[in-house]
Amino acid sequence: MRGIPATPGAERELHKAHVLAWTSLAYNFSTIILLFFVISGSQALKTEMTGEILSLIPPVLFLFGDRISRRPPNRLYPFGHERAVSAGYVGAAVALLLVGVYLMFDGGMKLAMREHPTIGGFPLFGHVIWTGWLGIAVLLWSAIPAYFLGRTKRKCAEVLHDKTLAAGADINVADWQSAAAAIIGIVGVGFGLWWADSLAALLISLEIIRSGWTELCTALGDIMDRRPKTLDQKRDDPVPDRITEFLRHQPWVDDAVVRVRERGRELTAEAHVVPRADQVSVEEISRSGQLACEIDPRLADVTIAPVTAIPEDVARALQAEDV
Amino acid sequence: MLRCWPVLLTYLLVACGLPRDPEKTSERIAEKHELRVGVTDDGPWTNAQSSEPSGIEPDLIRQFASRLGAHVLWTRGSETSLAQALKHHELDVAAGGFDSKTPWKSIAGVSRPFAETADKKKHVLLTAPGENRFVLALDSFLTEHMRASKGAGA
Repeated sequence: MRGIPATPGAERELHKAHVLAWTSLAYNFSTIILLFFVISGSQALKTEMTGEILSLIPPVLFLFGDRISRRPPNRLYPFGHERAVSAGYVGAAVALLLVGVYLMFDGGMKLAMREHPTIGGFPLFGHVIWTGWLGIAVLLWSAIPAYFLGRTKRKCAEVLHDKTLAAGADINVADWQSAAAAIIGIVGVGFGLWWADSLAALLISLEIIRSGWTELCTALGDIMDRRPKTLDQKRDDPVPDRITEFLRHQPWVDDAVVRVRERGRELTAEAHVVPRADQVSVEEISRSGQLACEIDPRLADVTIAPVTAIPEDVARALQAEDV
Repeated sequence: MLRCWPVLLTYLLVACGLPRDPEKTSERIAEKHELRVGVTDDGPWTNAQSSEPSGIEPDLIRQFASRLGAHVLWTRGSETSLAQALKHHELDVAAGGFDSKTPWKSIAGVSRPFAETADKKKHVLLTAPGENRFVLALDSFLTEHMRASKGAGA
């Protein structure tokens, strides 16, 4: 199947990922609607609801992205459509950042102005109960399923090497953590600590800013053809080194520099190779390319360019970044 | 039975004194038997001209005060001065024909509606912000009143 790693079970995981994305959308909608009813004067609940609305972005991007990115290449888009998702992500991450910053100022102002959140009664079953307690019930609903949803998505994302799905998992983690912060805030208000509410709101907005920043770095890295990283963005992906190693061990190869780029779930590699002798068989080159392509299931294509010497700019790909 | 336990739980929490008022409004009223109310003129809702304010809202507030075992201490002022006084916790409640979309809700607290007019306006009282135990007591009273008047109207 086009656009997914050639590992066994990947198609099944893709189906699972679709189910997870739709589940997330339905679930997030339910929490948004419930939060809307109990929001009253609480800044923490307002911030949490905004966070929940922003959580709709990754599943939507995944569902759209999955459709667009699997379109085959054509004359207009000769490299295919895998990058569509990265482009969409830049926009979404900027939105996340801006909303996060807005909410941070909003919450910070309320704290600085010593605004006391008014949370009154809510008529329920013929009684009037404090809306804060209902808010906590809704927050539990927005925390506990999110925790399990996030874990399932993370596993699925690792098999598929899908960043939108991984981002969705991250957002779910952020959701349950911010819901926990909001619960503490509301309980604080229940005990007469008016500042607990805006303080919780402030923490949640920081979490939104952090998510936005991480997503922005990932998306910009993709678009700028940064060296592939592992899904958690913490370590370098070993694939470029493994291809280099493989090519340098070929009997006809003297030197090789490999540059790998990520395009959605796929990797494409470009190898500049200096052959040992002037006479290299075309057959040998294409066979090495095919074998290199099998090093990792995510590799869609390995292009081998035989050269007499490694071009200067290409050789720089081996240098450490000077930051 | 399933519907019962959240209600029971909240009554239990109320019994434990939760939610609490950050500025201790409920405690002060229980101690001094005094409900500080601000009024401003607004048609049939509040008439602040007479020595003892009259109208729908002052009547309602007197009922609420008697339930708390308090007498009402009336203050007259403009909407702006009342909202400021609520913000600084110099008043507990303000009445003056406010509806649930009142712009003062960014400064003061807003109660549950106690009446709905033909033009879909939900009438509310303004409260001191964040005095949640007090607001909850007021909301319970107003919701009861709303139910009773709806039952009577139907």
